[in-house]
Amino acid sequence: MSAVVEIEGLRKTFHTLRRGRQVAVDGFDMVVEAGQVHGFLGPNGSGKTTTLRALLGLVRADEGRMAVLGERSPERLTRVAGRVGAIVESPQFFGNFTAHRTLGLLARAGGVPVARVDEVLAQVGLRGREHDRVRGYSLGMKQRLAVASALLKSPELLILDEPANGLDPAGIREMRDLMRSLADAGVTVLVSSHILAEIQLICDHVTIIARGRLVAAGRVTEVLANFDRHEVRVRADDPARAAELLRAAGLTVVDHPDHLVVGGVDDDTTVSRLLGEQGVWLRELTPLRPDLESVFLELTGTDSHPALPRQAGGPTEAMIDLDVSGVDA
Amino acid sequence: MNLVRAEWERLRARRFVQLMLILLVLAFGVTAATTLANSHRPTATELASAQREAADARRGLELAYEQCVAREQGRLSNEELGLDPYYTQNCADIDPGRMERLPVAADFLRGVFTFAQAALPLLYFLIAFLVLFGFLVGASYIGADLNSGGVVNLLLWRPNRTTVLGTKLGTLLGVVGVVSLLASAAYLGTFWLIGQAAGQPGAVDGEFWRSLAAVWGRGMVLVLLASALGFAAAALGRHTAAALGVIAAYAVVWELGARLVMLILDVPRHERFLLSSYLFAWLSGRMTNWDENACRGVGFGTTCDGSWYITQGPALVVLLGLTGAAVGAAFVVFRRRDLI
Repeated sequence: MSAVVEIEGLRKTFHTLRRGRQVAVDGFDMVVEAGQVHGFLGPNGSGKTTTLRALLGLVRADEGRMAVLGERSPERLTRVAGRVGAIVESPQFFGNFTAHRTLGLLARAGGVPVARVDEVLAQVGLRGREHDRVRGYSLGMKQRLAVASALLKSPELLILDEPANGLDPAGIREMRDLMRSLADAGVTVLVSSHILAEIQLICDHVTIIARGRLVAAGRVTEVLANFDRHEVRVRADDPARAAELLRAAGLTVVDHPDHLVVGGVDDDTTVSRLLGEQGVWLRELTPLRPDLESVFLELTGTDSHPALPRQAGGPTEAMIDLDVSGVDA
Repeated sequence: MNLVRAEWERLRARRFVQLMLILLVLAFGVTAATTLANSHRPTATELASAQREAADARRGLELAYEQCVAREQGRLSNEELGLDPYYTQNCADIDPGRMERLPVAADFLRGVFTFAQAALPLLYFLIAFLVLFGFLVGASYIGADLNSGGVVNLLLWRPNRTTVLGTKLGTLLGVVGVVSLLASAAYLGTFWLIGQAAGQPGAVDGEFWRSLAAVWGRGMVLVLLASALGFAAAALGRHTAAALGVIAAYAVVWELGARLVMLILDVPRHERFLLSSYLFAWLSGRMTNWDENACRGVGFGTTCDGSWYITQGPALVVLLGLTGAAVGAAFVVFRRRDLI
């Protein structure tokens, strides 16, 4: 696979009278390969949008090398602009223009056939409302319009900054389906989002940024695996005896009012066999797997609690310490 | 070409532009309707009476001049003319032959619109409106686009800042130029028709049209410069209000405040430091100023009027220089600016 986005050593500092010198991005690296649906995560102010804007030539980088579809950005961005669709944060549109007119103007400016306008309006679910003034649109509809504007060019690379902003649950699902269908059609998608569950569902790769620096990157499964502490939640008929037995077997046990969290469990059957042999009967044995949210919060230092591994597909149930010393933070 | 067309459509569809055009038509309509309602074709009697009054006025001027010359030559005394014994006058000032215009019949026709007489002030009004139109449309066009993210949207499609800003400015100047041309033709045409149908055309000879065309041409240059200046100020300040702020601040701080300070300090030829002087000089062709300091120490009886002029050449250089600098700065800043 070839890299469609390459960022190396990106650095950007803003100078303002009020807040002085602010390092927004500090030697950041990122690679997005062709065909990926790549999640770009980071807390507010971590440098996500600055990175995307620098990549698209909207912000001047102080240092670093960037390339889009093999062409240096921003110097040779014009060569590939027709193959890159992008929305950066929530773009504003003229309120008294209709969606159709807004897209029509962009299509003409970019030399795209105007017939494409109807196609993308249908693609983002705005058919039927395309002749309404944008002023009357909800935030979600404006977001769809923004995505439609990015899709107009039939891009090979789609860069979406917070595309789910303002969308209701149904809208988020539609957006997810849209991204998936685009990925299936061979479009490389780079998406930044705060909705981590969505990223986990749709992205195969992820890059996490915090305080302008790269903190994790790779396949979603690999990033999550690095944080798997092999924990299980245990409910037993005699919790005190169970805890004693498990500790004696060399496992870490954290007591909770109605359950135990047992760490260092490579094989779940170890717990059931150990307790069963001693006549302690299990009421529940649930593997706890870290999800992207807990990993994200831990890596970006935005968690108010220690890392919260989650039951796979379920809510947080336990609190344990995660050792992230191996991660470049 | 596609970008120009898209920009033209965006500009055309902007509410503010539409509102300004409606205001233009309204101002136009009200002026024309008022003129039409208050004018009538002069009767032969009115015309004859006005011509008599004009002839009398011209004779009066000639007589005053002749008496002044006679007084200068000692053929008549002040007492004989019923004047103060110490009264003096420079006869050249009242020489009818040196006057810009002499009284004509139209000056004495009441309730009659005379196109030849009213065309110039009407044209000045139109130019003033078009200057305001160009400045505000220019400022809001780029200001709103920078503020709303429209420019960012466009740059995602055409990541060439100079081209994008240049196309916007070019489209703006083109549209303002065409609107000004059409408005001028409609405006002057309407009043010419009013003069024909409900007033009188007056002396609309070749010289009149040449002179009117010259003022119109200079006015159109001013309209385009104002549009570019509004555009540049808003582009530099990232907001429409920036352009309005610059104008308001300049008017209050410099044109009023600094002018007052310079008058108090008796700064010689202070008009040369004020932009309004160059605007006036460019539009009217020449601005005459008086430098009181120039005649200090000059002996009694020596001719010294202390007048000095700003002519249209230097005025154009100043106006072009200012606008060029503002537009140049806007392009340089826009090329380097972080669009966040």
